Amino acid sequence: MKPDKPTQIKKESDLCGHNRKVLLDYRIPTRLEEIEKLADAVNQALSDPDLAFHANVCLEELITNTIVHGLKGAADRFIQVQISVSNEWLEILLKDDAPQFDPFMQAPSPNLDLDINERPIGGLGVHMVKKLMDDARADYDGSGNVIVLLKKLHQAAG
Amino acid sequence: MDLQTRSENNAVVVTISGRLDAVTAPDYEKSIRELIDGGNICIVVDFEQLDYISSAGLRGLLLMAKLLNAKGGRACLANVKGNVRSVFDMCGFNTLFKMENSVAEALAVIAG
Repeated sequence: MKPDKPTQIKKESDLCGHNRKVLLDYRIPTRLEEIEKLADAVNQALSDPDLAFHANVCLEELITNTIVHGLKGAADRFIQVQISVSNEWLEILLKDDAPQFDPFMQAPSPNLDLDINERPIGGLGVHMVKKLMDDARADYDGSGNVIVLLKKLHQAAG
Repeated sequence: MDLQTRSENNAVVVTISGRLDAVTAPDYEKSIRELIDGGNICIVVDFEQLDYISSAGLRGLLLMAKLLNAKGGRACLANVKGNVRSVFDMCGFNTLFKMENSVAEALAVIAG
């Protein structure tokens, strides 16, 4: 996504780093039922309810992917979540200790034009993250996957 | 998520509230399967009280639509709005489902 401007986005993000304010640092146990507690914390941290909704959808999709696919359901691990804002950007960081996987490169794009009978069940999560965020990337740092999501803010948030 | 059902005009109205997510979607799928297996093939789902939906929730709705198609049934959704509606739109679900602004209108669509 946005293949034309990834470096520019990163640069702008770094420039805004001076005003970067961390709104949430959260360590979520790798169990699906923990996601609602994280969502409550996100709703507290982000005062804009639309922004919180979008953040929560992205977090659920990526955390569910990691738990179900990356960790094969292992319930005794943790994923680190950090949400911060600068003047212009919402930044969401996720760090897991699952095997290397880049959902944004490896997940196939869904065909949204198929009818009910033709539509496969599933495969929409990563598509939703890409639609909701302005930039989404994953890197493996040797101990786990680091996902960085960026969303341009239209007004002051936090 | 809380799920309530009631019969109205030869259709079943399913009211869902709270979150339709990775944890609750399996419960939704189970309830819908039971309804359809029990011969209820005209279903209105009322989204008025639903605060949140993720791809797992959409998955449950698509499953319902597939099951109903296989049995010659039909579904109509009511009160899909706000951020929940935006999730529908970004995944093309607005073209998969009939959607109305009230349960009464959805029931009329089902009856027609």
